[in-house]
Amino acid sequence: MLPDRLTIVVGAGGVGKTTIAAALGVGAAHAGRNALVMTFDPSLRLKDALGVDDAARGLEVEVPVDAPGSLSAGLLDARSTFDRLVHRYAPDQESRDRILGNRFYTHLAGSLAGVLEYMAVERLFEAAADPRYDTIVLDTPPTRQALDFLAAPERILGFLSSGALRIALKPWFDKDGHLRPTARLGRLGRSAEAFLDHLVGLDLLRDMAEFFQAFGPLYEGFRQRAQQVQDLLRAPGTGFVLVSGTEPLRAPDTMFFARRLEEAGHHLRQVVVNRVHPRGTDVEQVDHPYDDRDGRSLLAWLGRRDHRVAAELRSLLGEGMPLIEIPLLAEEPTELSSLERVARHLFGSRKKDHAG
Amino acid sequence: MREPEGVGNTSRSGAPASLLDRLASLQLVVVTGKGGVGKTLVSATLGRLLASSGRSVLLMEIDPRESLHHLLDVAPSGGEIVPAAPGLFLQNLLPRQVLDELVRERLKVGVLARRVLASPIYQHFAEGAPGLKETGVLGRALRLVEGHGPRALRRPDVVILDAPATGHGVSLLQAPSLVADVVRSGPVGHLARQIAAFVADRQRTGIIIVTSAEEMPVQETVELIRGLDSILELRPEMVIANALYPPFSAAARTAGKSPALELWRHRRRINDTQLARLEREWNGPVARVPLLPIDGGPQLLKAAESQLRSALHGPAAENG
Repeated sequence: MLPDRLTIVVGAGGVGKTTIAAALGVGAAHAGRNALVMTFDPSLRLKDALGVDDAARGLEVEVPVDAPGSLSAGLLDARSTFDRLVHRYAPDQESRDRILGNRFYTHLAGSLAGVLEYMAVERLFEAAADPRYDTIVLDTPPTRQALDFLAAPERILGFLSSGALRIALKPWFDKDGHLRPTARLGRLGRSAEAFLDHLVGLDLLRDMAEFFQAFGPLYEGFRQRAQQVQDLLRAPGTGFVLVSGTEPLRAPDTMFFARRLEEAGHHLRQVVVNRVHPRGTDVEQVDHPYDDRDGRSLLAWLGRRDHRVAAELRSLLGEGMPLIEIPLLAEEPTELSSLERVARHLFGSRKKDHAG
Repeated sequence: MREPEGVGNTSRSGAPASLLDRLASLQLVVVTGKGGVGKTLVSATLGRLLASSGRSVLLMEIDPRESLHHLLDVAPSGGEIVPAAPGLFLQNLLPRQVLDELVRERLKVGVLARRVLASPIYQHFAEGAPGLKETGVLGRALRLVEGHGPRALRRPDVVILDAPATGHGVSLLQAPSLVADVVRSGPVGHLARQIAAFVADRQRTGIIIVTSAEEMPVQETVELIRGLDSILELRPEMVIANALYPPFSAAARTAGKSPALELWRHRRRINDTQLARLEREWNGPVARVPLLPIDGGPQLLKAAESQLRSALHGPAAENG
């Protein structure tokens, strides 16, 4: 099965999202597509395999693959994407510099809760408009719960929605919208804001006030963009691939996320059960009692467990949802050749064997 | 500054104390690592080991979908402190609730606390500001070990934090100093500095990194060790290499060729390569825990406990 034009790979931490995203890109290139894989800080060797390094942060680099299509890879970086958005939506140089130089922005812009996730879908949106790519695969950052990713754009927008904050911060400005001198900011009496002022100190509130004031003119652009991004995530050409592990506790997690995706109007295309231990080989024929020094005993147990969990998932998901099992490989998928092997499992057995 | 109990016999005494003694002398143990490597199992196992060595232990989880209670065979915490065994307690925290409680506790006057909690600035910040929730959680651990806990558990000797899998462990431990940098004055800034000092105090706080012996988790472990050193000047107590395949035995080598033998040999070779790499990059203790063929629950905990107990009787990392 070929991926959608836009494919978003989701799943809990540690299940192998980055590997599956990279393999989807490799497979798409072998199917003749011009693919782009966008990922977060993967391991060094996978970076080597994809040919991306820190210098390519925020840019895309072409990965040399022996395939009819092409493969590019990009590393996602929240801060540089945020900076680019500020450049785009600032009405003039002065308001742009006010934001980029603000202490609140420089300290916090890269690490606000949800910024990474928001910037990931923002980059997806930018790339979607790029005519060079006909398949774009987005790896998603590790989240406590896989669905945090989908809520992030709304959360960050809520934080930036300066309306409420501008009202709250009003006492810090004069009639012309300029920041008042530090000394006395009007008598706020016993209001909570006065107390917050005492609680966290004046200079932080001034930095904040200035940031949200400076951000005001950009907000409308951000808001419209976020709405477009939300629409894109639900568009017919955008599909989700949900990656699951094989530990027994993973199955309910995976089902929970599958339901949440569908409830939110997203298109879940397939579920990938990753790193499934083999079954039906000689592993099964270990007839002696369990021996903790014999790896075959352990593999037999793992094979039975993984297939039990995969079968459970298959029956919970129902007939309509494709479920693909990726076997545990003998090597780690940090080379292009092993990514190709994973891709062949993802794309079905009809694919020509490129490894030979 | 007050010296916590038990510190005197871990250092300055010449002979290195065992890892277990060292951990038992701490007030906060942060268990961190990449998702899916077994942090929760290690946290619960350490909790059992420290509790059976006579400490009063609180296991702290920050996950709305709780899982620690499965291992301990008790009811889910739902935010409450749950006794799990003699000297062992469990609590699942909602970070937002922790922050709200901190505000109530600090402001004392109900009206003021309500106003702050209702203010849009606070609400925006509590949800979105980086490091605030993490600082709140670490601050809660500090309040507890200093004896300001609720009636159910007035004062645990040690809090074990099963750190969430989000991002790097560095960002959790860096959070209080980040907040202290941004909020430079006022009681919040003061509190953040106190929490940052607590986390940075080697006599009070320890870090344990859990990893599997595979490429990406070991890569992240090495980066985490470097980040802790360069950003926070901290050094973990130990690394726990979890879910190892059994060593490829001499008998297996002569057993001929089969897919199962091949897979076993390859996976174990990955483990060996990555363990060797870990030992090159990190000169502290590495405990090895095998992949255990148990689905979960108290049986898994029991098996992990006997595996980890012997590893913890080894010498502690050098302080310095």
